[in-house]
Amino acid sequence: MLLGYLFEATKSKPIAEQYLVDIFNGLQFTDIQAMTKPGINTFCQLQAIARKKLASLSDAVDECAGPAAESKALAEQSNKFTDLMEPEQRRVFCGIHYHGKSTGTLAAELNKTEEAIRRILKESFNVIRNQRNDTAAVYR
Amino acid sequence: MIQQQYIDSGILEAYVTGTATDAEVRELMYMKAQYPEVNFALQQLELDMEHIAQHMAIAPPAGTWNKISDTIDELILRPEFNPGQFQPNTGDKGFKDHQTDNGPHFIEVEAESNHMKIHKNWKWVFAAVFILGKIFLGCAIYFYLENRQAQQQVQELKTELKQLKK
Repeated sequence: MLLGYLFEATKSKPIAEQYLVDIFNGLQFTDIQAMTKPGINTFCQLQAIARKKLASLSDAVDECAGPAAESKALAEQSNKFTDLMEPEQRRVFCGIHYHGKSTGTLAAELNKTEEAIRRILKESFNVIRNQRNDTAAVYR
Repeated sequence: MIQQQYIDSGILEAYVTGTATDAEVRELMYMKAQYPEVNFALQQLELDMEHIAQHMAIAPPAGTWNKISDTIDELILRPEFNPGQFQPNTGDKGFKDHQTDNGPHFIEVEAESNHMKIHKNWKWVFAAVFILGKIFLGCAIYFYLENRQAQQQVQELKTELKQLKK
């Protein structure tokens, strides 16, 4: 799963694999203890570490602006979640989730307030939640 | 309700995407411990993140695990380090009273385990040594048989010579 996230962010399998190896090799014993505690979502902790590492590799947010740009880079896999989002929601979600941008940076880029960026981010999560619930209903 | 307002504020989403400030994270940890609704909402968001990741998951190329397994194994096998036991006494009471504490005074060098951990590359060295051993054994048997046959021939020639002399 983490490799999939890294691939989404880097758009390159060899680079994503290198990041994956670096992340696991950089883990300390205390990190492993902390992220395997009860009640802690291990994947989200690993993803947070990956996001910090990826922050230096911040691509232009415009790469997530439209399905056409995405489909070029992600020809092998389509992201059904971001495809369901409005363009603005997609820009905010991809900018934060895949490119590690802060709400402040995005607010400046999109000429909006940080509160508005957070609201848009929440809306994009609502889209994901609805899709997840729909999928669960189908399998139920 | 304050917890619902907090959930709707978007801080939880900011936290799971790593954009929350340190103060917001501290506040969230407090709210999470205080209100089960906040904890549940956070868990749901983490499940959302996992759901996306599961959908976009790709299989790692062969050999990726080998690149990281050595380091992980080493971390798991390494005992928990307690630097406190090696710190000197801050006070000088022990020197004044000529007393020492009952803690450990030496570092145990000998390993407790009877097993030895070596690098995976050594398996090729062991395989090469094994194959070379077999080759040398084969050569030794071959030359021994050759030598025995030659000695028999020499013996037969000697017998023939003796018979001819007679």
